[in-house]
Amino acid sequence: MDERAFARLAEDYAGRLYSVAYRLLGNRADAEDAVQRALLKCFAARASYSPQWAVSTWLYRALTNVCIDELRRRRIRTDGVELRAETPTSPSPVGARVDLTRALATVPREARMLVALHYVDGLDYRELATIRGISVNTVKSQLARGKAILKKALQAGGHDGSY
Amino acid sequence: MDRTDDTLRELFAVPTPPTLAGRVRAALREPAPTLAALADRFHFEATERGVSRLVYGRGRDLAAGRGRRHVEQARAEVAEYLAGRRTFFTVPVDLGGVAAFQDQVLAEARRIPFGTVSSYAALARRIGHPRAARAVGNALGANPVPVLVPCHRVIRGDGTWGHYAFGATLKTRLLVLERTTPLLVGRTSTRIVCRRGCRDEQRAGEDRRVVFASVADAAGVGYRPCQVCRPRDDAA
Repeated sequence: MDERAFARLAEDYAGRLYSVAYRLLGNRADAEDAVQRALLKCFAARASYSPQWAVSTWLYRALTNVCIDELRRRRIRTDGVELRAETPTSPSPVGARVDLTRALATVPREARMLVALHYVDGLDYRELATIRGISVNTVKSQLARGKAILKKALQAGGHDGSY
Repeated sequence: MDRTDDTLRELFAVPTPPTLAGRVRAALREPAPTLAALADRFHFEATERGVSRLVYGRGRDLAAGRGRRHVEQARAEVAEYLAGRRTFFTVPVDLGGVAAFQDQVLAEARRIPFGTVSSYAALARRIGHPRAARAVGNALGANPVPVLVPCHRVIRGDGTWGHYAFGATLKTRLLVLERTTPLLVGRTSTRIVCRRGCRDEQRAGEDRRVVFASVADAAGVGYRPCQVCRPRDDAA
């Protein structure tokens, strides 16, 4: 893959990568940073890219690696136990966005990542499994767990449950 | 696909900031310089027991007998470290010539985990001499084996870098390097999670590696900790 092809690729994917990073990290600055770092890593390793991989898998692998390491540094406690049912929030439409960020923060890291990849880009189980190097069954169970925690948190956060 | 999924999908969409594309383009045009090129500028002295001195810039390796093996190992490990492929050192260090207090300070500095920082005052507290922050600074300043004993991870209490034997620029670059090097790496082929730098992990190709935030996370998705490098979640 030559430099120009990669630059085009980076432009095509930057938005989607950003959305996933934003959902994982929760703020714009860190998300932009993560996208830039992931793309630079891929750029440096573009010679070793093998076409048996889907481009999206390759890029998402790099992105999730960067994001996960960033989350490690924050040492967020990710036990579902921390979820507080009585969190007071406004049920306004603006509130819904903030709620999602807060609700996602209660989902354990590995599950959160799968949930983000799944909902931002609609990736299927097989691709998620390849990106994270885990089995399809693990993807299914983690994703189900993540969704359950997320929904509970969204409801607790004052959502009217109409979604 | 039920209704919930569709609504969630809408919720998950994020508007891309207009600055992103330009930023990515600029970054690709001139990638940041790597530290790997500096590997040749490190020189080592070693005794039978381990590396006793590390100098940067002008100098030459100095060792005899078994010490030569330590020098070889230190050179290889430092090169990997600078290339972002190693997060810990296994080469023995010989601190035979240092005084008791400095020995204590250096031992405590070695406990600061990769990628994190501590302050001179915090280090002084941890060794039981809470008023000795400046003495700690002096002891670290005279660190005979920088990098291997990570005195660059100690910064001033107000958040500024403070001094570094090899210059403030290198201190910054080392800290940035540690900030961007992942600590825990899983091999997708064997489902084993290692510390970055483990010989088992280094054998895996780049496309066989995934990063984990903790050993517990890795275990949760079916990865077991490596028995060679023994990663642990002690900080959590």
